[in-house]
Amino acid sequence: MKTKHVIPFIFLFILLGFLGHELFYAKPHEIPSALIGSDMPSFQLTNIMQPEKKFTNDDLQGHISLVNVWATWCPACAAEEALLLEIKAKYRVRIYGIDYKDKPEDIKQWLSQHQNPYDMIGADINGDVAIDLGIYGTPETFVVNKDGKIVYRHVGMLDQAAWDETIHPLINQLESENT
Amino acid sequence: MRWLLILMTLCFTSVYALDASQFSSATDEQRFFNLTKEIRCVVCQNQSIADSNAPLANDLRNKVQQMVIANKSDTEIKEYLVQRYGEFILMKPRLNENTLLLWFFPILAIIMAGFVLYQNRKNIRRSD
Repeated sequence: MKTKHVIPFIFLFILLGFLGHELFYAKPHEIPSALIGSDMPSFQLTNIMQPEKKFTNDDLQGHISLVNVWATWCPACAAEEALLLEIKAKYRVRIYGIDYKDKPEDIKQWLSQHQNPYDMIGADINGDVAIDLGIYGTPETFVVNKDGKIVYRHVGMLDQAAWDETIHPLINQLESENT
Repeated sequence: MRWLLILMTLCFTSVYALDASQFSSATDEQRFFNLTKEIRCVVCQNQSIADSNAPLANDLRNKVQQMVIANKSDTEIKEYLVQRYGEFILMKPRLNENTLLLWFFPILAIIMAGFVLYQNRKNIRRSD
């Protein structure tokens, strides 16, 4: 058999390889964020814990932080609460909450019944900030560097593996760059 | 039969209602409807935001409506969404360096197939 007769088959198998990858291994719901490397979109939200003060993107300047988009009505958000509390207590990372489409009174009620992992909570009542952030579901967590730029986005519930393997090493790296 | 007709009517009814009076002109209204057909619902992925009733699709429709009313051009509206959700949000990806292969691969494949066929015929003729 001549080599040139084999070429179309090699080509076909490469294409089948791509098809197989898309069918079995691709994660169509993990859309990469288009905002990585860009500034946190500017926002100004009602600050639930200090109503006299707004929670804005300027509050994220000068330190590394996690920005967690969540809601009191979201079961996956409730499931990641323990890990957020641990991150705050053990690793001293500042965590900011953007509460997606909740009534302020529901957030206050939630706060009275739960331990609070957040340094500040902003109420995104009509979901405008969520669209500015390219959110397509709660929860989503962004790692923001000290210049207020988005460095990483985690889609879905934050779990121990994501923290240990990706987010914590990333925060350590950002901290070592700063020193 | 009557139930079937009712069911069919419901199936083809638009999933959302919109207050058309908010647009200042019929052109804007048409522009809004065309845009919603071109923007993907990222939650239900194979539907446009015009076809989807997901809460996020509703939010995106509102955003597009606000931007149309604010006189933003179609390009500006699409660019705003692409900056936040990536190229994937457009049902029909735009032609750029990332989508070159996507757009031109079919043409390339046809040319290659034609070339292989031509070579084969030439070889057959030569062996005759």
